[in-house]
Order: sequence, then structure tokens, then C-alpha cells
Amino acid sequence: MTSRAGVVRAFVAKDLRIHARDRFYVVVTIVGLAFFIGVFWLLPDTVDETLHLGVHLEDAPAEVAALLDADEDEAGLAVEVFRSSADLEDAVRDGDPVVAGLDLPAGFLAALATGQDASARIVLRADAPEELRPALAAMVRELAFAVSGQPPPVTVPDLDEVVVGVDRAGAQLSLRDQLRPVFVVIALFVEMFALASLVAGELQLRTITAVLTTPARISDVLAAKTVVGTLLAFSQAMVLVVATGALVRGLPLLVVALLLGGILVTGVGLIAGSIGRDFIEVVFWSLVVGLPVMIPAFGALFPGSVSTWIQVLPGHGLVQIMVGTTARGEGWTEAAPHLGALAGWCVVVFALGVAILQRRVRRL
Amino acid sequence: MGPALVAEGIGYDYDGTLAVDDVSFDLARGEVLGFLGPNGAGKSTTIKLLTGQLEPRSGRISVLGMDMPRQRGEIQARIGVCFEEKNVYPSLTGRENLAFFARLFGLHDVDLDELLARVGLEERGRDRVNRYSKGMRQRLMVARTLLNEPDVLFLDEPTDGLDPVSARTIRQLIRAEADRGAAVLLTTHDMYEADQLSDRVAFIDRGKVLALDPPEELKLAHGTRSVRVRVRTGEQIEEHVLPLDGDGGAAELQALVEAGNVLTIHTEEATLEDVFVAFAGRGLT
Repeated sequence: MTSRAGVVRAFVAKDLRIHARDRFYVVVTIVGLAFFIGVFWLLPDTVDETLHLGVHLEDAPAEVAALLDADEDEAGLAVEVFRSSADLEDAVRDGDPVVAGLDLPAGFLAALATGQDASARIVLRADAPEELRPALAAMVRELAFAVSGQPPPVTVPDLDEVVVGVDRAGAQLSLRDQLRPVFVVIALFVEMFALASLVAGELQLRTITAVLTTPARISDVLAAKTVVGTLLAFSQAMVLVVATGALVRGLPLLVVALLLGGILVTGVGLIAGSIGRDFIEVVFWSLVVGLPVMIPAFGALFPGSVSTWIQVLPGHGLVQIMVGTTARGEGWTEAAPHLGALAGWCVVVFALGVAILQRRVRRL
Repeated sequence: MGPALVAEGIGYDYDGTLAVDDVSFDLARGEVLGFLGPNGAGKSTTIKLLTGQLEPRSGRISVLGMDMPRQRGEIQARIGVCFEEKNVYPSLTGRENLAFFARLFGLHDVDLDELLARVGLEERGRDRVNRYSKGMRQRLMVARTLLNEPDVLFLDEPTDGLDPVSARTIRQLIRAEADRGAAVLLTTHDMYEADQLSDRVAFIDRGKVLALDPPEELKLAHGTRSVRVRVRTGEQIEEHVLPLDGDGGAAELQALVEAGNVLTIHTEEATLEDVFVAFAGRGLT
């Protein structure tokens, strides 16, 4: 007597064996994991928010240099004094860490103190943020007021800073935290592609026709493909998460999110594998259907710039949970809406994949 | 015990294009029924209907006393289907292919080595199928069909494109299965194979069964018997085809023999293809 569980187990074992014998995916999986893990640990794990400025003041008195140095750390500003204009320009050209500088010529301070005209040079790297120019100009003006002993033309009012929402100042994501979801989603994507190939192979070779003239049902095939797809995707993602040291907190939440992510890409794999009629078409449809899963991961590289349309894409919930849990220590409460959205997308995408696969099988 | 398979007025169309039109026949246990027809005649669609891959738009199908498609699961546990396409898993070995399908049937004690030996693959069972020749893949598919010792076998062009040795191995297996008591439905457009193997032959064309009888009866009823006589006439050799039915042929043959110039005489009977042409008005290809 054939049991449903026995049929599904047989199918899962067969699919895993076929997958393990596909050199392309074995190589892509191993090399991909090694590459992502290696790159991850090479990336900086801290965010340096200090702005490094260089100053060359030809005849600077010691007390002026000390005054400049006093601002370090307090305002996220570090000033480095250079002996010559050439040294300053070289440092700015290198850009590490000095990104801009003030070149104050000989007699600059004396001219200011005596009320004479004075000029200064602002030195900027070509890729320096646009906002630096007015900021440096303001610095020179402040310096002029301080040296000349005259007050600024207006009285600067006291300012209260109000940040609406969660203030991320001082808690920016490191490059590692930004890239972790990208790596995980790419790993999921590779396994999605592997599942799509398994499904497409079953249809192209018409082995599924042979299977469906045995006591096995299409529901058994779908169950097995779901198990295989989710297992492959989830295990790859977990390996990455563990290897990138992200399991220090929120383990159950991460496991649930990655399981849902595995189911999501399984649904995408069913769609791509059912539509694609050969290798090229499978690649094409995997990219077309898989992009909405991948795009939000790249959005994590640009915090604060995630557009509304990206927020409704299938992969957004997964990325937000990963970032929130691994980098910000968020828990179930903060993740709940993202989990809900992710689960909703799983249902939609998986149902679509099942419907398309069933239609293809009927038309064989 | 009733027939192994009964089809009553079954019909099917693909988006309005009629593929099977009011087809009726039955198949006894131990019988080989040859389903003959050209490509696109409706043979494969009929097999899909009988094996539960498609549901008929009209008519009734009974397999081993059970209703198809209502009792599809129970029926499929007791049938074996060999497809025209070589639908085996190329990256698995022959043994692994068979073991996988055995598990789909819930079988755990099948002697796979014995099964592979029956189709002459005992030496290649542990090789991956992507290293098999076309004939070896076909033999593996036949072995897969026999995994569950089926009561009804559906064989769709089982020897198509095979070398003579592989084809003979498979024909022997088909006969052995019929002798075991299995009912065999064999679709083919190979007249020789149908003639050799079938207890009865059904001609199918444009979705309809045109005739259904033992091959000998079909040939006798719808073909013509004749003799081919080669005669030397001076420096020339002439050939005469003389009908044995009717009056003129026998007298002409006697005259040729008495003239003493006969080189060879061969009796000839109608082939199944001749009979098919008589029914369908066109050949099998």
C-alpha cells in the first residue's frame, strides 16, 4: 500500500540526489557561500561618522591649532593640521581619512585681525559631498569673526532638535549589516533557480507524466517540491546567517523569517520552472519573477531611501526582519507587520506557482 | 472473471479538435490487443484516457472492474505504462530509477537485479542513465513498467527506433507478460510487430476504431490472396501476380506451369497495412 508520506519522502530523496549530482549548482552553491562569507568578514563592521578635515595655516600660532583640535569627537569633526599646501592637497587627494581641507595663506590671520581683505582656499575631493562646500565656507567665516573679535552679524538662536520616528543618529548600519541581507537573498535566489531547474527538467523530460500514472498524485509532487525548495533555500540562508555571526540574538524570529523566505522563493521557483521550457527560458523567468524578491535587499544598502513601491515587493519584509533583528536587536513586535506581509506574499506566490504547474502538467 | 478493460463510447477533444471519437472495445486478461494507426490517429490520447492522465469528455472506462477516473489511485497501483518518450531520470542510475518508482508503488522488496536482468541491463544497472543508449533507455522503461507486476500493461510504441536485438527482447517480454495473465494494450505502427504479438488488432484513424479483429481474420476478410510467378520467356524474365480467389487466377497458373518455363512461385497474402488502407483509404505513415 502506498502512503502519501512515503511518496513524498521518495520524491524528496530523488530530487536531493539529482540536485547533488548537478555540478553547476554544487559549484555555484559552494563558491557562492565561500565568497559571501569571505567578503562579509573583510568588510568593516563599524561606521565612522567623523568628518576629517585638513587645515594648512602658514603662520598658525600654537593656540589656534589647539583650538582647532579641541572640536574633535565633540561634533563629529576631526581636524588635522598640515605643514604645507602641497601636503594638504596630497592628503585630500588620497581621501583617507581627510576628505576636504582649508588652505589659509601666510598673513591670513594678521589680515583678519587688522580688518584687511583676506582670502583662503577650500580643497575638496572630486567626489566630496556637495554639502561640504557651504559648510567649509561657513567655517572660514566663523574663523574670521573669532579672529577679528567681532560678533557674527546675527545672534544665533538656541535650537531644539526633534527627530520624528526612530533616531538612527550614531547607530548607522555598518557595511556588513547592509550587505548581509543582500548575500542571504542572493543565496535564496540561487536555490530558487535550482528548484526551477528541477521542475523544468521534470516537465521537459515528461518524467512527471510517468510519475502521475503511478499511485503518486500531483499534490505529492507539489509537497515534495515544496519541501526540497524550502529545505535547500532555508539551509543555505541559515549557513550564511550563522557564518556571518548573526545568530547572537533573535534566533526563533530569524528561523521563522528565513523559513518563510524559503517558501517564498520555492513559489517563485515553481512559477519559473513551470513557465520555462528550456534552460535559457528558466534563467529568463527566474530573473523576471525573482527580481521583486531581490530588489528590497539592495534597498538595504541605501537606508532611508526605500521607495513605497519597494516596500510592497515580496522580499521587503524578509529584508526588514533581517536588518532589524541582526543589526538593531528588534523583536517580534517590530517584526510583526513585516512577517505578516511576508507570509501574505508566500501564500500569493506559492498559490500562483501551484496553479501554473498544474496547468502545465495538464497540457503535457 | 470479466474483461480487464472496457471502454464504452469514450471521446476526447483538445480545445474543440476531436482526438478520440466514440471509441469502444474491451481487453481480456492474457490478451494482447494491438492498437494500430498512423501518427495523430488518437492512439496516445486513448492510452492517456485509459491510464487516467486525461479524463474522457464522454463515455465510460472500466479497468479491472473499477471506474476510471473515479478510482484512479486503485487502478494506477495495478497497471503499468510504458511511454513513447524516454521519460527516465538521466542523472540517476538504472537501479535508482527503478527504486524510485518502486517506492511510488509502495514496494520495498522488488528484486531490481532480476528485473534488470529480464531486460538485459544487469551489467549496466549501476550506470547513470545519461550514459545509456536509446535502446537501453527503452528497455529500462519496460522494466519500470513491470515493477508492480501489473494486471494491465499499456505500451506506447515500445520498440520504436530500436535495434533488432532490443526489439526482440521487448517483444519476448510482452508475450511473457500476456502468458502470465496480464492484459496488454500495445500501440504501434509497426505492422510486423502487431501481426506477431497481437491476439486482436484494432485499426484507429481520426479518433475512430475502424476495425477490431484477430489479424488473420482481418487479412482473410479484407485482403486478397495471390501467387507471384516468375517465368522465363526467351531472354526475358516476366513476373505474374495471380489472384487465388475467383476463377481466372487458377487457370492462368495452371497454364504457366504446363508451359514449363516457371522459375519461382511464391504465395502472397494481404498485410495488415493493406487491410488498413482498405479501411482508411490511406497508409499508416
